[in-house]
Amino acid sequence: MMHDKIWNLLAKKMANQLPPEEEKELERLLQQHPDASYVKEVMMQPWKDKHKRFSPEETDQALQRHRQRLEAAMETEEEPEPGTGRIRRMIFRLTGVAAALALAFYVGYALWPKQKGQATEELQQMVTHQGSRSQIKLPDGTTVWLNAGSQLDYPKQFAGKTREVTLAGEAFFDVTKDAEHPFIVKTNTFSIRVLGTTFNVRAYPHEDNAVTSLVTGAVEVVMDKKTVRLMPNEKLSVSTLQPVSSGVADRETIVPAPAVKSTLTEVRDSVIAETAWVQNKLAFKSQPLEKVVILLEQWYGADIRFRNEDKKQVSLTAVFEKESLTEALEALELTGSFHFKKDAAGIIWIE
Amino acid sequence: MMNEEVLHQYFRQVCDDGDQDAYNELYKALCSRLIHFSAAITGSWQLAEEIVSDVFIMLWRKRAQLSNVANPVVYLYVCTRNQSLNAVRQHRRHQHLSLDNLDTDALAILPDTEQNMLSAEVTQKIESAIRSLPARCQLIFRLVKQDGLKYREVGELLQISPKTVDAQLAISVKKIAEAIRLDMPADLAQSYLLR
Repeated sequence: MMHDKIWNLLAKKMANQLPPEEEKELERLLQQHPDASYVKEVMMQPWKDKHKRFSPEETDQALQRHRQRLEAAMETEEEPEPGTGRIRRMIFRLTGVAAALALAFYVGYALWPKQKGQATEELQQMVTHQGSRSQIKLPDGTTVWLNAGSQLDYPKQFAGKTREVTLAGEAFFDVTKDAEHPFIVKTNTFSIRVLGTTFNVRAYPHEDNAVTSLVTGAVEVVMDKKTVRLMPNEKLSVSTLQPVSSGVADRETIVPAPAVKSTLTEVRDSVIAETAWVQNKLAFKSQPLEKVVILLEQWYGADIRFRNEDKKQVSLTAVFEKESLTEALEALELTGSFHFKKDAAGIIWIE
Repeated sequence: MMNEEVLHQYFRQVCDDGDQDAYNELYKALCSRLIHFSAAITGSWQLAEEIVSDVFIMLWRKRAQLSNVANPVVYLYVCTRNQSLNAVRQHRRHQHLSLDNLDTDALAILPDTEQNMLSAEVTQKIESAIRSLPARCQLIFRLVKQDGLKYREVGELLQISPKTVDAQLAISVKKIAEAIRLDMPADLAQSYLLR
């Protein structure tokens, strides 16, 4: 019996989890039992794997094999096939939306030098927070809907040969026709060049992909090395992962996924997942719960986390319009695929 | 073994800055541990390496969303556990799935005979003492002794209480102790007695 206590303390000692008071007890017991001291010596030594020992060289080789698989995986990454159906109705009833939007946003003003050699142009900025959306009319008559957590920089007056705005986040544009002055939306990943059209851009800096979805007209998506033209009802998804371009020759680089073209996703009659938010609807089709959670966090300004990692892959389809966050989660929970709980701090846990 | 804080630091650098050097260091520091863990579940070294590679690919893809992970090391173990169980599920449809069905070869660890005075005979005794333990007990022993996980972390990973981890580990130490405690070299015994 005496020894059982020693082995228990010794196990804790080995795990580096022996509190100081028990440390003293162990020392005392070991003095009475020298055979146990020998066991302690053995247990406290570094041990090694019996099979498959990784030398530093083998570890490096394993890393090389992993980097090759990583690059291959990033190259072949493809958009999941969008479900079915062409879009029957592409003209949205957009009037009246503005009143429902525009809850919490602010307009900031700032002055930036535009480009080298050009006169400075007064820039304005619109920012929306998580959980809020907004609408704005630009000086040329173009209407922009700005989704949650987004930022749009635009000039007070369009002066040059082009009409240029800069977007970080998601926005829907209804661009006023002006063939003489192309309208250009700049994002971190690509630029979109249009004459007059309606289209959606989702380019959140923290997301893996930036997506342009065209509803009517025609747009050109301009990337570093190529330009892709989109037809109505098409979208282009481009990886936002930055290639490493430090001059170090032997450094591994991540090749961004090629741009992937696909069609827009009709969730149900005339509700298109990519643009439903403009009509104040949150819609998604066959999306894994981990993506749905990001949409819900943006839409409702919530903090949602996973307790059970397995639930991330649960696939869900839904359209929400007037539901509160709790109502939306309860509706999704009815699928029986997950449960959620809200803790004291207001964090929602998926389990 | 690398300091846990350094590993956390690397993980943060990957999530917050997309730091590739930190990512490579993290892989090098953890690949052996995770591959052994996965191999114990899947019974295949090759599959285990692929699974751990998949876990790290996932880490790179989702890094922007992972900056809130409280314990990165346990997180990567849990991902490896899930991917490994999934792989087994795909290969052997009808087999009952649990962490008790382990390939204990992959778990085997031994005192490093190059660094100490243990005879081959004693090492042999330790090995068979560990082999006589239930598979889960062997896994817990390895996770604490070789991988340096805390009781709490092992409990989280295997979905058992830290108290169970404590009890199981004491059983392992007792088994090993009973196998070798009378094999103490005479000179060493003398030195202890004279203390």
